[in-house]
Amino acid sequence: MNSILQEIESQIAGVKSTAMKQNVGVVREIYDGVAKIEGLTDCMANEMLDFGGGVTGLALNLEETEVGVIILGEFAKVKEGQEVRTTGRLLSVPVGKGLLGRVVNSLGQPIDGKGPIKETAFYPVEKIAPGIIKRKSVSQPVQTGIMAIDAMIPIGRGQRELIIGDRSTGKTTIGIDTIINQARSNKAAETAGDKGYRPLYSIYVAVGQKQSNIARVIAELEKAGAMPYTIIVVAAASDSATNQYLAPFAGASMGEWFMDNGMDALIIYDDLSKHAVAYRQVSLVLKRPSGREAYPGDVFYLHSRLLERSARVGEKYGNGSLTALPIIETQAGDVAAYSPTNVMSITDGQIYLETDLFYQGVRPAISVGLSVSRVGSAAQIKAMKQVAGRIKGDLAQFRELAAFAQFGSDLDAKTQGMLERGKRIVEIFKQQQYDPLPIEIQAAVLWTVQNNLMDDVPVDKIKDFQAKLTEYLTTRKADVLTKVRNEKAISDAIAADLKSAVTGFKQTYT
Amino acid sequence: MKIFKQARRDAKSLFQACRTNGVLDESKVREVVQKVVATKPRGYVGVLQHFQRLVKLDIDRRTARIESATPLSTAQQNELSGTLARQYGQGLQISFEHNPSLLGGLRIKVGSDVVDATVQGRLDALAESF
Repeated sequence: MNSILQEIESQIAGVKSTAMKQNVGVVREIYDGVAKIEGLTDCMANEMLDFGGGVTGLALNLEETEVGVIILGEFAKVKEGQEVRTTGRLLSVPVGKGLLGRVVNSLGQPIDGKGPIKETAFYPVEKIAPGIIKRKSVSQPVQTGIMAIDAMIPIGRGQRELIIGDRSTGKTTIGIDTIINQARSNKAAETAGDKGYRPLYSIYVAVGQKQSNIARVIAELEKAGAMPYTIIVVAAASDSATNQYLAPFAGASMGEWFMDNGMDALIIYDDLSKHAVAYRQVSLVLKRPSGREAYPGDVFYLHSRLLERSARVGEKYGNGSLTALPIIETQAGDVAAYSPTNVMSITDGQIYLETDLFYQGVRPAISVGLSVSRVGSAAQIKAMKQVAGRIKGDLAQFRELAAFAQFGSDLDAKTQGMLERGKRIVEIFKQQQYDPLPIEIQAAVLWTVQNNLMDDVPVDKIKDFQAKLTEYLTTRKADVLTKVRNEKAISDAIAADLKSAVTGFKQTYT
Repeated sequence: MKIFKQARRDAKSLFQACRTNGVLDESKVREVVQKVVATKPRGYVGVLQHFQRLVKLDIDRRTARIESATPLSTAQQNELSGTLARQYGQGLQISFEHNPSLLGGLRIKVGSDVVDATVQGRLDALAESF
């Protein structure tokens, strides 16, 4: 017994009571979620500050005599004269696979009522993007499941492709479709036990959106069974501008974890125009000088540093990737406004959605002329290149000819043929929302058009023909589709199989 | 009242002029204030207000406040003063206070640096962690 007592005594004697050294300041002003703090001489830029009572702040402005801080959480609790401490930490969010299937706020706290999150690690919200040594060019595809995009504006893993368009032209839908398609492919590869397939995890960041819209997106993803592969980061319209400003960065950190650990992730920022507006608000209340349209001078850097974090890294550095699909809402189709041009210049291409096309019934309303993908074609699979190589040019020519054809009726046979082909391609590219198509079906359908097998089908019957052909191929000729999927190319043998399958189907089609 | 940029700049240069070897010279500060009040240059109220703020911050930076749960002996006070002077340089104003609500230990505040070795501080930190 005595020895135990002695042991405890020696332990107690060994414990040294250390003094806590802190750097403190005093709240001088507090307004609009922003505080000015006097003191804090050792405060670092972007450091977390402790206001006590669970309230934290983020030091954004280091001035001569004071520090400008944005408050995360409830700023109504903070009072003038209150003491504030530095923490020596950067703002961090939980990351890891434990977040999949969860809905979190911009600090990574769960808001879906499904209990605490099992995180693997914490990542700082602001991180330096991978440098040139680490990067590799884009070489693997992201199949969006939207035929018009996969055929004409292909996206690769690690690419940044802007989705731009007016309000209600289907921008979010493209993002949701892509998430759903990834979930389907991941699930299919899991059930087939395909070891070679690299699953693509999705992160959807909702910035400044209506809660009802976000709830609808979540319900849609749940219905499609996509939630187990998806993280949703929410900073709704009712959240503070601070949280809206931080949400995309938090989402990017969660995506970077997948990239750093040799996995692939896709992040959708919905949308960056509202993000720029939130940042403008934060900057203005912090009394930073304003520039064009009252945006601060560093609004370009805000988006460039965010989007630069998406990358494809080389084998030596884990071989992971982070693909970004930022969304920008234009006002009355003005792509030359401030934030659209900024983000367009940072991204590797854009998908431009047009209101006119949308109301003509061309949905997704992708404008072929204005949409480009600068790096994605390197990632397109061979089968798609074979069937879609000429489509973009054909469609552009069709639009030009269609404008001319309105004036006269006497057209030569070649022009007639081009017009007919164009009309059919436009029909083929029409697609229901939340219904992404597997790549082999896309390739088979496009092959049918390109090989003149749909020329005798009336234009108004094309959609019906396509649906029935798809059904026929998936139910009766699944082996051909499997071959296309596995070989990723349409060889002469597959072409012959496809030809016999389509001609066989056409005999039964009425 | 809004203090204009020029007033701020003037106040800062006046403040710099009042320093000798990095330490604020009180006689110079008095002289400056008297001169400004006497000559009344444009926007002088703003200049003086900002000047006062700069002086206040400097005084805060050079003031050490030592609170202890039990009164410190003169020897202890001298030892503490010596240590602080070594760390923060000359010109430090040190005040000693007796504060029983700390329960035990010392709390030293120099400018915005705080060294908390009190029982109360530890209890607060513990309460915060729950």
